[in-house]
Amino acid sequence: MTKKLLMIDDDPDFVAGIKAILASGDFEVDVAYNPKDGLRALEAKQYDLLLLDIMMGRGAEGIMIARKLRKNPKLREMPVLIMTGMREQIAFLFPGEPVHPRFVDVDELVEKPVEPKVLLEKVNTLIQTAEAKKAEK
Amino acid sequence: MTQTTTEKAKILIIDDEEVVIDSCLQILKGGAFEIQTASNGSAGLQKVEVFQPDLVFVDLKMPGISGFEVLEKVHALDSTIVVVVITGFATVSSAVDAMKKGAYDFLPKPFTPDEFRLITRRSVERRRLMLEAIALRREKELLREQFASIVSHELKAPLSAVQQNLFALEFELEKAMTEDQKGKFERIKTRIGDMLKLINSWLRVIRVDINQLKVGFKPLSVADPINAAIENLATLAQRKGIQINFELRDLPQINGDSLSLSEVFINIIGNALKYSPDFSSVTIAAQAEDKLVKVLVRDEGIGIPSEDLPHVFDGFYRGKSGQEAAAGHGIGLAVAHQIVQAHDGAVSVESTPGKGTTFIVCLPILNV
Repeated sequence: MTKKLLMIDDDPDFVAGIKAILASGDFEVDVAYNPKDGLRALEAKQYDLLLLDIMMGRGAEGIMIARKLRKNPKLREMPVLIMTGMREQIAFLFPGEPVHPRFVDVDELVEKPVEPKVLLEKVNTLIQTAEAKKAEK
Repeated sequence: MTQTTTEKAKILIIDDEEVVIDSCLQILKGGAFEIQTASNGSAGLQKVEVFQPDLVFVDLKMPGISGFEVLEKVHALDSTIVVVVITGFATVSSAVDAMKKGAYDFLPKPFTPDEFRLITRRSVERRRLMLEAIALRREKELLREQFASIVSHELKAPLSAVQQNLFALEFELEKAMTEDQKGKFERIKTRIGDMLKLINSWLRVIRVDINQLKVGFKPLSVADPINAAIENLATLAQRKGIQINFELRDLPQINGDSLSLSEVFINIIGNALKYSPDFSSVTIAAQAEDKLVKVLVRDEGIGIPSEDLPHVFDGFYRGKSGQEAAAGHGIGLAVAHQIVQAHDGAVSVESTPGKGTTFIVCLPILNV
């Protein structure tokens, strides 16, 4: 079954690169280039996975979305692949928390740029893990 | 941004003897000064608030509040105002006391015009330099923040997008490419990858403000930054098949900054990985020894020749011999050294060419 993915990232060229890789899998990818459009998309449709640029814009606007996901009981279940320019920036933004804070129930952190095989593997694993968790409930 | 030399220096003279005030005014006549006077400490302090002088001359012995108290109160208002105390004849001990309390200089009565002019000149210059230093520090901080932002957005993000598209293209064409074409992709990816690593290295360096570091110190276990570093380097270690062993034993807490210490270990352990052959191992041991927490990072790599050893922590130095290392590590070790020093610790290196290298980081245990 085709999985529905949403990517929220403000760099169109970077998005194009990721979409090209995902095209080899059974995925349908929607894109939002800013947090507002991203949130609108999340409200309008059910997605199997979110690819989120945490460092969007100049003020880490992706964090705002991550927080909203955490607070929403339905969106919490959606797996998220968090993309960052630098792993340590996460620690910077969340002082005191471990390098990989859990925003939602199923998430993982990758550094940009992402190698194709790594991207596909992580996307598939995250979707499977989230589905397994949901089935348990 | 800094004071121009055509601006007049502002001087306040506080003395109960009219004779002293008149002679000071006479001596400084014609100079580039704006001068105000007061005959007692309280009046003088009021003038300081309004006039905002660069330099204050104050007589130590006055009726009402003493010169010492004026000195203290002036510096409470603005610690950059230069205060020179005027002392009575043969009271050098009071003068020394005043200087210990923050006075810049002292002027024993009676003084000659030249003596007065000289002290005035030096004191005004001192204030100018202090204000310039403050302005420069502020400017540097602003530039550092702007530079980090520019490097991130204008350099790193575009390069990241280029590399991502390169990955995508190679992935699409994989089956159709000749060996030669695959080789071209590899070369391009490697060079861009090196540039990204260098930019990351620079960003991490810029982010560390050594002067502000101590302000944010908290109690922590050195295991935390070490683990953060190991996690950061996991992909590289995996790619080279290198096993990282971390042994820790009874670790008392140290006082420090977790993020910059992670930077230290990213650089040192990263260095060990870069110079190690594939499928070797890197061992990290941490233990308490006397009043220190000692961390040893040992690799089985090519080692560092003895002539390079003393220069390992110099910025920009990269050993002449040995394998090609990814760009950026010259800076990394120099910054690591600075960070460890800011923690009142020490870092050293021992090496046997052909056998391996050991980096030793010592950090003082927190006294509770």
